[in-house]
Amino acid sequence: MITQCTIQLREQAFEPLEVLAAWHAGLGQTDSLEGGAAAGSAESSTAVPVAADLPAAEAHFIGRVRGSTTTGERLQALELEHYPGMTERQLEQLTRRCAANHGATAVLVWHRVGRIFPGETIVLVAVAADRRGPAQRCGQELLELLKHEAPFWKREWSRDGNSQWLQGNTPL
Amino acid sequence: MSRGEPVDEAMATVRVRLFASLREQAGWSEQLVTVQAAEATPLSLWQQLQLPSGGAGNTMTGTDLGWPEGIRVAINQAFAALDSPLADGDELAYLPPISGG
Repeated sequence: MITQCTIQLREQAFEPLEVLAAWHAGLGQTDSLEGGAAAGSAESSTAVPVAADLPAAEAHFIGRVRGSTTTGERLQALELEHYPGMTERQLEQLTRRCAANHGATAVLVWHRVGRIFPGETIVLVAVAADRRGPAQRCGQELLELLKHEAPFWKREWSRDGNSQWLQGNTPL
Repeated sequence: MSRGEPVDEAMATVRVRLFASLREQAGWSEQLVTVQAAEATPLSLWQQLQLPSGGAGNTMTGTDLGWPEGIRVAINQAFAALDSPLADGDELAYLPPISGG
């Protein structure tokens, strides 16, 4: 089975529901969308697919930057460093492996890098499949994989100008 | 290989990269290091470069290697083991604990 994988690292803020709408516009097509093809093509979402072409099941996850640091202070911004090249490669491999394991038909991962402000979306994961089980299981597994197996590092900036690198992930 | 030329004298130049907290603790982000190819591993280079053994969590593994818990290694942008061999032209990265998503 060919899985459509759409992977993006974004320096600018994005609106997840607009990204999903644009993604839906491409889901009726069978050819694989390579990472980047969907970038900046939100306009193409005007080509609304026939509803019958959409997959029967979809699971979405939107992760946003919380307003406080791990020590409870007000957060000014979150800085997200990555390893250019390896991060994209890992995301691609993890996504393809996870989609194949669960039999998902299409997967989208958009992830922010750089400076991100409270309330902004940091990660969007969407999985389309024929049934709810594969869609939700694939989504959850992929989210955990990208939190632990893709080279990203978070640094919290508090309002007094101090910063702290995080030493791992928040609990599930 | 030609006779009388010990393998362990073959030198390899490796690009070493550090990220995030590790980069700031060490005070540099990348450098080229020339090593004996037959003996070099990510672990030996870590010791040779005197990278911060306190690393990320200040906890050593029980193996007495001076290897900070939570630090991972990538060779040519793929995760690798501490004792992997290194070849000329490799890119070696030390990765502090990952926090994505």
